[in-house]
Amino acid sequence: MVEISATELTEDEAELYDRQIRLWGLDSQKRLRNAKILLIGMQGFGAEICKNIILAGVKSITLLDSGVVTNEDACSQFLISRNQLGENRAEASLSRAQQLNPMVQVTADSEDISDKPYSFYGKFDVICATGCPVEQLIAINQTCRGHNIKFFCGDVFGMFGYTFADLQIHEYAEEIATHKPATTQEGDEPATKKAKIEHGKRTVKHTATFVPLQDVLDIDWSSEAYAKRLAKLDSSYFLMRVLLSFRSKHERDPSPKSRQEDTEELCKVRDDVLASLGVPVEKVPDDMFRNVFGEVSPVCAIVGGVMAQEIIKAVSQKELPHNNLFFFNPTKNVGFIDCLGN
Amino acid sequence: MAASIDGVFEAGLKSAIEAAKVLVVGAGGIGCELLKNLVLSGFKDIEIIDLDTIDVSNLNRQFLFHKQHVGKSKAAVARESALRLNPNACIKAYHDSITNSPYGVNFFKRFSLVMNALDNRAARNHVNRMCLAAQVPLIESGTAGYVGQVELVKKGLTQCYECLPKAPQQTFPGCTIRNTPSEPIHCIVWAKHLFNQLFGDDDPDEDVSPDTADPEAAGDAGEDALKSHSNEKGNVERVSTRSWAQSCKYDPEKLFQKLFHDDIKYLLSMDNLWKKRRPPTPLLWGSLPDAVAGSSRNAKESGLRDQKSWSIAECAQIFADSCRNLKNQYESLKEGDHLVWDKDDKSSMDFVASCANIRAHIFGIPQKTHFDIKSMAGNIVPAIATTNAIIAGVVVLQAFSVLQNNLKSCQTVYLRSKPTSRNQVIVPEKLLTRPNPKCYVCSTNNEVILCLDVNSMTVKDLQEEVLIKTLNMVEPDVILDGKGTIIISSEEGETAENNPKKLCEFGITDGSILKVDDYQQSYKLSVTINQRSVSKDGYDFEVVGDISQLKPQEDDTTNSAANGPSDQDDDYLEIVEEEDITLPDIESKKRKSVGETEGGISKKRRIEDDDDDDVVII
Repeated sequence: MVEISATELTEDEAELYDRQIRLWGLDSQKRLRNAKILLIGMQGFGAEICKNIILAGVKSITLLDSGVVTNEDACSQFLISRNQLGENRAEASLSRAQQLNPMVQVTADSEDISDKPYSFYGKFDVICATGCPVEQLIAINQTCRGHNIKFFCGDVFGMFGYTFADLQIHEYAEEIATHKPATTQEGDEPATKKAKIEHGKRTVKHTATFVPLQDVLDIDWSSEAYAKRLAKLDSSYFLMRVLLSFRSKHERDPSPKSRQEDTEELCKVRDDVLASLGVPVEKVPDDMFRNVFGEVSPVCAIVGGVMAQEIIKAVSQKELPHNNLFFFNPTKNVGFIDCLGN
Repeated sequence: MAASIDGVFEAGLKSAIEAAKVLVVGAGGIGCELLKNLVLSGFKDIEIIDLDTIDVSNLNRQFLFHKQHVGKSKAAVARESALRLNPNACIKAYHDSITNSPYGVNFFKRFSLVMNALDNRAARNHVNRMCLAAQVPLIESGTAGYVGQVELVKKGLTQCYECLPKAPQQTFPGCTIRNTPSEPIHCIVWAKHLFNQLFGDDDPDEDVSPDTADPEAAGDAGEDALKSHSNEKGNVERVSTRSWAQSCKYDPEKLFQKLFHDDIKYLLSMDNLWKKRRPPTPLLWGSLPDAVAGSSRNAKESGLRDQKSWSIAECAQIFADSCRNLKNQYESLKEGDHLVWDKDDKSSMDFVASCANIRAHIFGIPQKTHFDIKSMAGNIVPAIATTNAIIAGVVVLQAFSVLQNNLKSCQTVYLRSKPTSRNQVIVPEKLLTRPNPKCYVCSTNNEVILCLDVNSMTVKDLQEEVLIKTLNMVEPDVILDGKGTIIISSEEGETAENNPKKLCEFGITDGSILKVDDYQQSYKLSVTINQRSVSKDGYDFEVVGDISQLKPQEDDTTNSAANGPSDQDDDYLEIVEEEDITLPDIESKKRKSVGETEGGISKKRRIEDDDDDDVVII
């Protein structure tokens, strides 16, 4: 949990953050300026999250990526210049990331997260992982639980994207609009539409409980509750499963360079994954694989915007968080929340 | 760049992106995000226009700008920064207003698609008309806080930006502002009017002295009170506030005495006003309360100047200091020029905040912090990076569809702050929103009914207030149908002698039709006059887009004491939060028929606005 900063915001901070303080209030801003974030994975989607978090005014952000800049990063990685091909992704992103907001401490780390000791995690309030194999995500999620760190993960595949959050036990406040007749007397009739209504706000505290990623992957689709939900459920969850399986199996994502072969391979992986889940193959039609290549910039912006806003909500402990999956389905331009595994 | 890497997009989309020529109107919160998405997606030919310069308060979201760019052209810096993201793109930047004459229909016709990233209704209306005239698809978008909206405007296929009447700006009756304020906003509007009376454009409709014609005061008190209270200012009432202030050299003590003591005494003499209200308490400069009203200062209070509650004594000091500064600013102007109120000018803002709070104290209304008053007086819409990023992302995905001629999948999309009953937060409409067949902008017969009093409205008012400010034209020509009389010509000076004349002098009467033609917008409109007499509460005119909507005059449609947006970047917001407000009748009925059915839980919100230094109109 991030504490409210004891010191006041400076006049410079108040000026820079004016438009957002007017939205989420001074206390949220003070919590943000105390928050330490680890962002794993600096491809296009990671760059979007990074930008939004730095602009919001957190205390520090560590960009961690052991990979190198590829040609495909040009699709959406705007923190890296085109002549940095082959450099480490985190280091290549550092300079532009820092320019976004000189008040935030930005550091780059080129090591692999798997090589980090348990104690490394303790330095952060929030960890957000992108571009990782699912086994690694499960492990990071477990470690976060041990440290009581808010865990987020997500990916963008072409025009499709998802986010997942495990905030464990999360307390948050919500402002509820209140309406009461301006001149109330005990026992008055409810105000008619014409009557003058006093609009006020009341803060209500809530607690939300989250489950780890493992539970979301271990769902028994033949169980009564989930079999019932299956028919209505959008394909996105299963598409995510297929893409994560592809990543684990091939140690890479579907590549634009081998679009044809990878599409065929995706169909095979789909058949295997859905069979093992006991879900009909039709749930993920072949058509969906047309737009899963590269990380497409506008979709990184959408899903990265949602992810960053969720991180801001988690840090400021304000507003109902998305519990626990968010999907962006590009065929209908729809973004929705699914709560699975609880 | 996605389109230049084989295999990212399907072939059709790749070639559509590479062949497109697009215009982005606005380089603010949404504009910066759009430009980034466009160059990264592989758009090669982009033009961007914005008249604004960069301010510090933009930097929390307009990420193409950094501190060293403050004061520079948004369009130019956005171009430079975007070129660093993709040096192969061709971007042309204009530091200019889109409503200026070089950007006519032929300018718009050069583009395959126009994307709006604007923060005000006037510019949106204008681009809407230009795109309709040029037959270019337009993607319109806006954000406010956590919510946003993207909609396609395509002539004949979807609703245009002006198909539905927008909720009018919230206005307040003159006598509430001048005589009987009951809420902080009334005092803030009064303080802005006072600024204009003293230093700005002193519109007689924004008078700040007691209104003796208040129907509630029933007349009798007025003149008697004037006599009985005639002390050193007894003969001052008929002199303009400006001349009086100048005659006493803007002496803060004298101004204070008149505004917060003598005028208040005068109001007190209008007995009828205070029969059911708490009467105001006049203040004396020499003995001002030093304690902070309401709650005492507590330890939790922020140390930021903006967030402090001021005592009345402090307010008076700030009032005095800001008066002196504004007087100096005003006197350094050329003869005939005046100051323009700006929320970002310290003295202007201090003046309004202190006056509003002093007046609030007098009337027993809760005081507000400088921070809150700035929101209300400056019509600031809060804005964050994430909302703009999401909305700009949706805009570019819709651009992909438009360029592949897949218009069917371009339903209006809403970003919501809370999930709908179906758990959606990015929510597309089920169907395209069809055009309003009676729309006076995009339908085949552009017609409106104009209700006014032909015996009192002048040609000048018809041009300025009705055609330019309300119907959003740029350079209208007006001909009286049937007779062929030229009432207004867009040629400079050609009809200047008509300006002070009343409409009736041209034989305009109930049922007359005016043919209005704005060449710049390629927009023709037929205006049918509906004669109405001026009512007591200052009713001037009303434009009715559709004869079936012609309904009895309501009391809130006047433009008497509007605190409306006068600056260009002021803006408007019409968001309907759930359970919060009910939409104006017409709109809610229409919207329902279009088909968003989220049950009773979550009603549709409609936003038109944006981002920046925008505005919730008050």
